[in-house]
Formats: sequence, structure tokens, C-alpha cells
Amino acid sequence: MRKLFAILLTLCMVFSFVSFASAEDVTITFAFWDNNQEPGMTAIAEAYMAAHPDVKVEVQVTPWNEYWTKLEASAMGGSMPDVFWMHSNQFFKYVTANTLLPMDFEYDYSPYPAGVTALYTYNDVHYAVPKDYDTIALVYNKEIFDNAGVKYPDDTWTWDTLLETAKKLTDADKGIYGFGAPNDRQSGYLNLIYQNEGFAFENGKSGYDQPATQEAIQWWVDLQKVHGVSPSQESFVDMGVDDQMQAGKLAMCFTGSWMMSSYTNNELFADKFDLAVLPQGKTRASIYNGLGYAGAASTKYPEVVKDFIRFCGSEEANKLQAEKKAAIPAYAGTEHYFTDNFTAINIACYPEMIAYGVQYPFSPNKSLWESQEEELMNEVYAGSKTVQEACNELHGIITEIEGT
Amino acid sequence: MTVSAKTAAPRLGRRERYDPKVVTAAFILIAPTIIGLLVLNIYPFFDTIRRSLYKTQGLGPEVYVGLKNFEKLFTDDMIGHATINTLLYMVLTVPVGVLLSLIFASLLNSKIRGRDIYRGIYFLPMVVAPAAVAMVWRWIYNAENGILNIALGALGIRGPSWLADPNTALIACAIIGIWSAVGYDLVLILAGLQSISKSYYEAAEIDGASGIQTFFHITIPMVSPTLFFVILMRAMSSLKQFDTIYLLINTRNPAYKNATVLMTLFYREAFEKFNKGYGSAIVLYTFVIIAIFTAIQFISEKKLVHYD
Repeated sequence: MRKLFAILLTLCMVFSFVSFASAEDVTITFAFWDNNQEPGMTAIAEAYMAAHPDVKVEVQVTPWNEYWTKLEASAMGGSMPDVFWMHSNQFFKYVTANTLLPMDFEYDYSPYPAGVTALYTYNDVHYAVPKDYDTIALVYNKEIFDNAGVKYPDDTWTWDTLLETAKKLTDADKGIYGFGAPNDRQSGYLNLIYQNEGFAFENGKSGYDQPATQEAIQWWVDLQKVHGVSPSQESFVDMGVDDQMQAGKLAMCFTGSWMMSSYTNNELFADKFDLAVLPQGKTRASIYNGLGYAGAASTKYPEVVKDFIRFCGSEEANKLQAEKKAAIPAYAGTEHYFTDNFTAINIACYPEMIAYGVQYPFSPNKSLWESQEEELMNEVYAGSKTVQEACNELHGIITEIEGT
Repeated sequence: MTVSAKTAAPRLGRRERYDPKVVTAAFILIAPTIIGLLVLNIYPFFDTIRRSLYKTQGLGPEVYVGLKNFEKLFTDDMIGHATINTLLYMVLTVPVGVLLSLIFASLLNSKIRGRDIYRGIYFLPMVVAPAAVAMVWRWIYNAENGILNIALGALGIRGPSWLADPNTALIACAIIGIWSAVGYDLVLILAGLQSISKSYYEAAEIDGASGIQTFFHITIPMVSPTLFFVILMRAMSSLKQFDTIYLLINTRNPAYKNATVLMTLFYREAFEKFNKGYGSAIVLYTFVIIAIFTAIQFISEKKLVHYD
């Protein structure tokens, strides 16, 4: 017993010595929320440390919800992590409180999707370097198509082809629907709005009063309410659209690239589905959104942080995160390192759509009206408001909140 | 522990002054609780009052807006819906829940075999984390594959989409609330029942009282202090209901308006819309409602509760 105690004590002393020694080097913390991406982020940190032996990068993973609570508390207390992921929903709050480190160095932003770069720019100053992006694609169940002898979706599809095929594949007796159309913005009707040459929110203005916008939302709602090719909104409460897809209850639905690890890890479903680009309306469009690497204004080592973020945005770091299946890398030309991980499916359609992608509408006060939009859409589905009424009301709400 | 508390404490006469050493020691001993209360309960309470007069914008400075948040409170449709739903939730859960607890406690108070096992089983829902409870009930209520609708289907009834149907969502949540609380209330009431002296029942038996007469004239009055406590606590916690409803009903749910309660509304305002000032106003409004109900209960206590 006494011996064990002595050993422990010695170990403690050794460790305190070690940590004392490394205190002379620079240690920066690197925080993010996605557990699935830890291998990718660790690889980047290790590559950086190999090139800079005097710097230690500490990786911290915190689940999404706690991440923002923690970041908010640490921002108020002045103890933010040095480098961290930033999301479009939260960016404005942090940048207006002067908690983000300006990326005031010369940097070439041309390899990144313009929308993602713009997302993290405030008063013409960059506050984050783009990390990755996601787009929305059409996912379909090959088995249901084969059984009905219907041709798989391809890039010639339009809204009409989608509706006709969905009608053919709907078999209410078996509980199979041709298409899943939930009350969803990003993986739902926002795509249609832009395909119909409407807009939801641009340059500080709501587009919900536009006929093209309302027409697109109407078309999405009608999939369920008029044509009956989509299950009811009640059913999406019990089982989300991707769960219904994976349970074989849907022939088609829209889904984001971030869902691919869930789809490919589902052993019962992995070989039954494939992907296609979104069908086109008046034009082509797919909503994209992206994350960025940001730094803390309160960091003790601003130069090291900036240098590390430069590295995170480099082609090499993008290759590293993509190889670990983290996400579609933001750096143009490195997408194939991501898509090469998934050979059985046409995952290349996700990066392909960035060519005509539309940045997920963003505004500083989005969190104030986004849930109202969902509530108004509920009333449309419940039949107590028409699409036009709900859209006009939403237009009024957004205009009042955004003050334009 | 060789020195007993009795011998360590100095004997004090009625008007004697307290020994400062003892007072200091006492304060040191209660300090952890008092500090905890001050930091975690009392300070936040007053801070909430202050915040309700401000508009919060992200991490930026708060702006004083006077009573604007309260003005908004009385014009906000959702507050009206949430208030009605909260009161309805209380009406749905408290009477049924307490009645069930009383019935089960009375049954367990009789000499039946395996009483402790039953008590353990009834208490189990209390031990399970609310998130896990919500997950399990989500499956039970699933419209197509849920056990509830399968059972109803076997009887030839087509069950609704429990959590998504505006007519059933709040009832479905209330059932979970009752189910989770019965075990705890039952243990409290059972303790109350067991403290009733046997002699009352013996006297009633000699006088030829029936079982039902005994229940209403002896058991109920004697257990009424415990019942009062249980009803009070249950009413308060039902007005503060948050976790299961928050986990089961989101804004995309077609039944959102019919099943959102004050606390879930507060959370969405304060932590999802980052509108902490308005959130604080909602909390104070809920506080007033709870205070009113508690006052009503304390007034009725004098008439209905029997202390011997």
C-alpha cells in the first residue's frame, strides 16, 4: 500500500514537471461539436503540430447543444477556446459582441464557395475561414423503383417528372409513398423557391410576398395535401423523413449531405438507395450552407491562432478532413477525397450541385422568425391558413423584425 | 464520533445569550446550504426580475425597455395558448394522479404479499431520466408501430397520431406526467397511511363501520395533511412542467399550439431565440400564476385539512 502511494506520488510529480515544462510552449485549444469529425480534426491538429513542434493543439469535442451554451458562457467570461467551429445561425451574435478574432491577413478566398465566405464576413472583415459545405440531393429507394419497373431519377428530371413518378410509386395500401415532403426549410421547400426563381430572404429583405416564392411553397404543400404522394405531417412527428426513407416507406425524398454517414451506416439500407441531383424547376438550385473556423478575440496567442486557422483552410488540411469522411471540404478541387470514401453511391452529385448552389438564407435575426415560419406552415397544413395568407403574414413578421 | 451532539452543545437557559462560538460554528455548518441558496436561487430570482425590464441582444449589452416585455406578454397569442394549456395540464394531471396514488397506496397498505416489490415497481418511473421516459413513450404513442395503437387496432379502433394530433397531444403528455408521478406520490401517501394509529380502525370495527365508511371518515381525514402536501407539490410541478413536453413537441409538430406550455415557451424564447428579457417576463408571469394557486390551496387548507 505504502509503495503504491509512493509510486503515485512520484507519478504526480513527474506529470506536474512535464506540464510545467510544456507551459513554455504555446498550447491552443480547438473546439467543435461533431463527434463523427473528430478523426478528421485530430489529423489536422497533428499535421500542424508536426510542422510546428513548439505549438500544442488540444482538441475538444462538445455535443451541439452544450457547445453553444459553453461557448456563450466562455465568451462572457473571456475564456473562449482559441479556435472553434462557427455556424451561420450563431455567427452574428458572436461577431457583434466583438468576441471573434478578425482574420486580417492576406488570404485567397477564391477556392471556397462564395456564399460560405460571405456568411462569415461582417463589415467587410473576414471572421472565419470556410471549413466545409453541404448541399441537398434527391435520395431514392432502388428497390421500390425496381418493383414498379420505373426508371431511376437522373439529371433530366423536372418538377413534373418528380410528381408523375411519385404518383406512380405511391401505394397507400402498402403504406408506401412516392415522396416525403415534410415541413422543412433547408431540406425542403427552400430549394423549390430558388428553383422557381423566387427568394426567401436576400439583402435584408423578405421574399415571402413574391408570387414565385408562394407558388413554390404551394407546390411543396400540394404534394401532400392535393396529390397525396407524401405522408401526413403527423407521421413525420413520429418518424422523421430520413427514418421513413430508411424504413422503406418512401420512394424518394430530399436529404442533406450531412445525412450520408447515417444512410451508409444503416446496414439494412446501405445497398438499397442512391442519389441524384435535385430535379429542376424554372432553373436549377440546391441550398448549401457551410461552417467556418473562427478564433477567439480574447486569445493569448492571436498570431498562432491565425496561423493555425490558415492551415485549417489550406488544401492539405481540407484533404485530411475529407479523407476521414468528415464533410465535403470547402476547398475547391479536394471534394474527391471525400466522395472517394463512398463508391457504391452517386455521392458526387452533392459537390456537383455547388455550381448552381444557393446559400442557405441568413440574417442576423433569423432565430427570431425561423420558428414562427414553422408554426405558420403548421397552420397551412392544418388548413386554417392558405399558403398565401401564411406567406404574407410571415413577410410582415420578417420585415418588422429585420426593420427593412 | 465519540462525542455525542448532546454533550457537546452547551445547556442554554431560556433568556441566556448564545455562545458566539456556537453561533459561528452553526453558521459555518449551514454556510454551504445558505451560499448555495443565495447563489443558485435567490440571486437568480432577483436577476430575473431585473432582466425582465431589459431587452437582451445576443452577447451585446442589455437595453433597458421598462415594461415593454410585459406589454408584449399580454398581446402575444402564444402566451394565451400556453396559459390555457398549462392550466389544462394541471387539471388533467393533478386530480387523476393524486386519486390514483391514493388508491394504490391504500391497496399497498393492506396486507398483501410482495408489497415491497409493488412499491418498487410503482416507484421505478421516478428513477428513470425524463429523456429516456420521453423516448419510450414516443414509441408507445407511434401512430403506426406504437404498442398503444396496435392494442387499439386489435379492438377495432383506429388510434390517432397521439403526439401530433391537436386533440390528443396534451392528453398524451398528461398521461406520461401521471405515470411518472404516481410512484413518488404513492410513497408519500403510504407513509401517511401507515402513521394512522390502528386504534381508530379497531374502534370503527367495533362500532360496525363498513370499509367504505372507514375510508372516508377515518383514512381520508387522517391522511389529509399528507394529501394536502402532495396536491400542493403536484400542482406546482404541473404548472412548471417542461421536460417531457419539450422533448416530445417541437415547433414543426402540427399540435404545437395545443400542447406548448409556459415553461417550454419560456425556454424557446430565452434560449432558442436568445430573447432572455422576454423569457424572464414569461417566468415571472408563471411565478404569479403558481403563487395564486398556492395561495388558494393554503386558504382551503384551513377548511379541509385535519391535523390531530
